[in-house]
Amino acid sequence: MIEVNNVKKSFGKSEVLKGVSVHVEDGEVVVILGPSGSGKTTLLRCINFLETADSGELTMGNISVNLKKANKKQILHIRRKMAFVFQNYNLFANKTALENVMEGLVTARKIPKDKAKEQAKEALDWVGLSDKYDYYPSRLSGGQQQRVGIARAFVLNPEVILFDEPTSALDPELVGETLDLIKRVAQKGITMIVVTHEMSFAQDVADKVIFMDEGVVVEEGSPAQIFSRPKEERTKQFLSRIISLESNYSI
Amino acid sequence: MGFNSDYFWECLRSGIIYIPNTIKLVFISLLTGFIFGTIIALIRVYKVPVINKVLAIFVTVYQGVPIVVALLLYNLLFMLEFNNLAKFLNLSKTVKDVDNIWVGIFALTLTAICSMSEVIRGALLSIDKGQDEAGYSVGLTKVQTIRRIIVPQMVPVAIPMMINNIVGLIKASSVVMAIGITEIAAGAIIPGSRTYSFFEGYAAAALIYWTFTVLIEYLAGRLRKHTGKFKRSSYD
Repeated sequence: MIEVNNVKKSFGKSEVLKGVSVHVEDGEVVVILGPSGSGKTTLLRCINFLETADSGELTMGNISVNLKKANKKQILHIRRKMAFVFQNYNLFANKTALENVMEGLVTARKIPKDKAKEQAKEALDWVGLSDKYDYYPSRLSGGQQQRVGIARAFVLNPEVILFDEPTSALDPELVGETLDLIKRVAQKGITMIVVTHEMSFAQDVADKVIFMDEGVVVEEGSPAQIFSRPKEERTKQFLSRIISLESNYSI
Repeated sequence: MGFNSDYFWECLRSGIIYIPNTIKLVFISLLTGFIFGTIIALIRVYKVPVINKVLAIFVTVYQGVPIVVALLLYNLLFMLEFNNLAKFLNLSKTVKDVDNIWVGIFALTLTAICSMSEVIRGALLSIDKGQDEAGYSVGLTKVQTIRRIIVPQMVPVAIPMMINNIVGLIKASSVVMAIGITEIAAGAIIPGSRTYSFFEGYAAAALIYWTFTVLIEYLAGRLRKHTGKFKRSSYD
């Protein structure tokens, strides 16, 4: 179980998160939707301490920490239970695909090198990159890089994987295969929080959909509830725009 | 103006004798400059509170002072105050016991610290913040991230600027003749004090510096290719 309570965050004068609470059960896939600037990504980054929230509590299993006051040791402890998949992949540019996947195992988890190598190869095979072990990220396509990114997160066997718009930087052809892969991660029963703009993915995979706007959670519920019977006016408005856009362009 | 090649060789030999002095001046300053420059750059890039501001001011102010002016200033202070300082620290040395090459090394070191810190800071800033974040996200500590992810990517970026600095410092080391230290340039014109003919001496000094520079640039090119092998093109 992972839970954040009353997360607040401002950048200068603009208040990006105005007290957001999210509760995720073990094995649950939660998709966060919302327009740009609604604070989805910031929330995800606060959960992984990539951004220091102004206030808020994080509970993971039986550990509870203050998002603002957590010390280095607590942050490291929590981070090592999580993994993060970035919008622009952020693979280590100086390491090959295999080394990228091994890094967290060897340096952070202190797993012996040969054992880590085995696990990393397994993970890369699983994402369909068995022929790209020794390629540097600069030689991989965006889709391949993101698959390495997912393998790097998956191999750590984390309690939760956070996905920050994992397909936004990909060209349309590659979005599908990457989403399929994320779906396969979900089927493994790993807890996931996914920020995305892919509505059909949310409908297919999510156990729970959270709709955010202007730094607050507007509405949350099952995909059926959110997509077919949204209660809030703002949710209806957002969905009607997105869905009309999608039908206009998908000829 | 004639060019006497025998005399040129004499000047060259006279300059070569003083290569150890130049190496001492440059090597000690560069090494110290590299170590402290790296520390300053890391403090500034990773924004360690308070010290980062102090160091920023120090670097900016110090880089505004010409090296000759700094050198002459330190030499003056050294001549005037060293005896008092030695007495204060209960040292049995006087200004005559200390080789003033150390004044030269001191001045070059401070210059090297500032320029090296700027080179390394520039290289650190060229690396995307996402690389740090990716490191943290797989559970690395800040120090592990810097050592295993950031520094290896920074090195090939820093090398060209670093070489520019090293070469600059080698050439700048000739200014220490202003306080009477003999190094390559001053050494090469020693025969001139006897013959009043300086052209060959200057040419000899230029040749020695040039050889040094070419050698260093060659080594740097090799190193850069080796450290930058993860880049798409080995030439960029």
